[in-house]
Amino acid sequence: MPRRYGPFGGSFVPETLVPALHELDRAWREARRDPEFRRELRRLSETLGGRPTPLYFARNLTRRARGAEIWLKREDLVHGGAHKFNNALGQGLLARRMGKPRLIAETGAGQHGVATAMIGATLGLDTEVYMGSVDMERQKPNVERMRLLGAKVIPVTTGARTLKDAINAALRDWIANVRTTHYLLGSAVGPYPFPAIVADFQSVIGREIRTQSVRAFGRLPDLVVACVGGGSNAIGTFRPLLRTKVELLGVEAGGPRGSKGAGSLTSGSPGVLHGSFSYVLQDQDGQVSDTESISAGLDYAGVGPEHAWLKESGRARYIAVHDTDALRAFHWLARDEGILPALEPSHALFAAVAEARKRPSTQHVVVTLSGRGDKDLGVVLGAAR
Amino acid sequence: MRLADALADARSARRRLVVPYLLVDRRRLGRLRGTVEALRDAGATALELGFPFSDPIADGPVLAGAADQALAHGTDWRDLLAAARIASRSLPTAVMTYANPVLRHTLPAGLAALARSGVSGLIVPDLSLEESGPWRSASHRADLALVLLAAPGATPVRIAAIARASRGFLYLVSYYGTTGSAASTGTPDLAPLVRAAREAAPALPVLLGFGIRDRGSAERALRTGVDGVVIGTALEEAIQRDPRPAAVGRWLASVVGPRAG
Ligand SMILES: Cc1ncc(COP(=O)(O)O)c(C=O)c1O
Repeated sequence: MPRRYGPFGGSFVPETLVPALHELDRAWREARRDPEFRRELRRLSETLGGRPTPLYFARNLTRRARGAEIWLKREDLVHGGAHKFNNALGQGLLARRMGKPRLIAETGAGQHGVATAMIGATLGLDTEVYMGSVDMERQKPNVERMRLLGAKVIPVTTGARTLKDAINAALRDWIANVRTTHYLLGSAVGPYPFPAIVADFQSVIGREIRTQSVRAFGRLPDLVVACVGGGSNAIGTFRPLLRTKVELLGVEAGGPRGSKGAGSLTSGSPGVLHGSFSYVLQDQDGQVSDTESISAGLDYAGVGPEHAWLKESGRARYIAVHDTDALRAFHWLARDEGILPALEPSHALFAAVAEARKRPSTQHVVVTLSGRGDKDLGVVLGAAR
Repeated sequence: MRLADALADARSARRRLVVPYLLVDRRRLGRLRGTVEALRDAGATALELGFPFSDPIADGPVLAGAADQALAHGTDWRDLLAAARIASRSLPTAVMTYANPVLRHTLPAGLAALARSGVSGLIVPDLSLEESGPWRSASHRADLALVLLAAPGATPVRIAAIARASRGFLYLVSYYGTTGSAASTGTPDLAPLVRAAREAAPALPVLLGFGIRDRGSAERALRTGVDGVVIGTALEEAIQRDPRPAAVGRWLASVVGPRAG
């Protein structure tokens, strides 16, 4: 497993955290080779998480696009309602293996917080989740779910009170409590080994797409599309397809039209945020910018370092989709297929429909539907008013 | 005088080393010269000049809040260079900032600009030993001492490696936590860490930082066998209470100066 992806990645952290990162790296490498660990991961993925998730042919959405076939990888059906479970389960098992009795996590949309709270309950680990107070307001149902699941939700009121600030708060907690606490980071960001570990546990998405597409339509898709906040569902989708000819498209949040949005790959530049060298939205002095997006899960100024490298090397392409277009795609999927998507993958859906439109009906586009939309009803209904 | 020389000389003269931390804030530039002189007269050996960063993960609420304020006041890189020119006239000056602002100005050009402004040391709290290679060579070329940090929890082998790679001094973090969060130092047993650093780099001064806030904590810090202390959060609080240079100087003297009476 590489510490770097081209020039990107690394571990830019206060020295206090370095021993914990080494410990985590060791535990993960051992666990990957341990048949017992893999059996347990697989058993809980299936019996608790509901894997494998289906690959669904979106016939009506395809008709709307009048082009390539659109297929949905249904991560919205995973336990908890998003792909976040895949990583929370894996890291939760690692935390138990390392003997850490306490989990902390950051969350933006609340999905990672919910997943961590569920795993904390399952494995009997104390769980505390940092969440920006702006996000607590706009993703309220998830705050209530976390509390019901026994986690403590700690409001973060510094900065823009969104995901970036929640990660800062979680890192500060970890620096103070590193001996007893595992920081269950929720996206493919942060210092090494987090991007590698998160990508590893999320790669189940792309592996299933690989086998399911061959089974469903006899070959690999022509294009896969996933939304990119920190980039965990996207890297999980892309990784197992890197050495194929499948086109990879990552979709960032463009925010309101005319705003700077939250597209670190599409509008940012190389820099260090939260422990790794990657793309960052920043000013001329390297101060990290505030971001804007209708979806809390994509509202982040950084991105995982492997995506920075996939962009620079040209292996993947990244675009940004505006709030209003994501909302349109939300309603399309609701009316056409009877599925309420989360606002994060609604960005990817919009891009997938646009891509399908440009392609012949013989092609196949797979979109990772990273989460379900229940958490977003307030935002969606508010936007309709 | 330059940071490394000043600290080495003071150590040979068996003086304890005192390095206060001042955050650069555009609104405080007018008082900077007087403040640095007052700190020098109160016993400071060198100065740490902090450049605010938007996401200071090693800092607790006081210093993170001060950084937010400074950025809200429009503080930018030019202010840092201006502050460095002023401060380095009175005290050897090291700049403390996070990795990203330096990288944004690029290692060679950013460090050269600092050096031209009189800076002779650099401290980057989110630069791990693992990432420090290019920084060490760039600092060497710019004639800046790159000060590395060590923290409790590191093995003696790791401390030794950090001490050998560090220049100017070794910045030993006194506890598990962010700046300003512990009431007193000495919770973890620091003596073995200090010993490991000494064995690896006998000529390198070792300073303890984080949590030094009054005479008692400063004296406890020195009993771990270090050569001196870095004082950040408590000084910032003192400045917020009374920003006048004379008051700031009196406060530092009350912590590290000779006992009155
Ligand atoms: C449903 C859903 N999709 C996507 C994301 C974005 O995260 P990532 O880019 O790590 O997949 C989130 C994050 O909160 C989410 O809840």
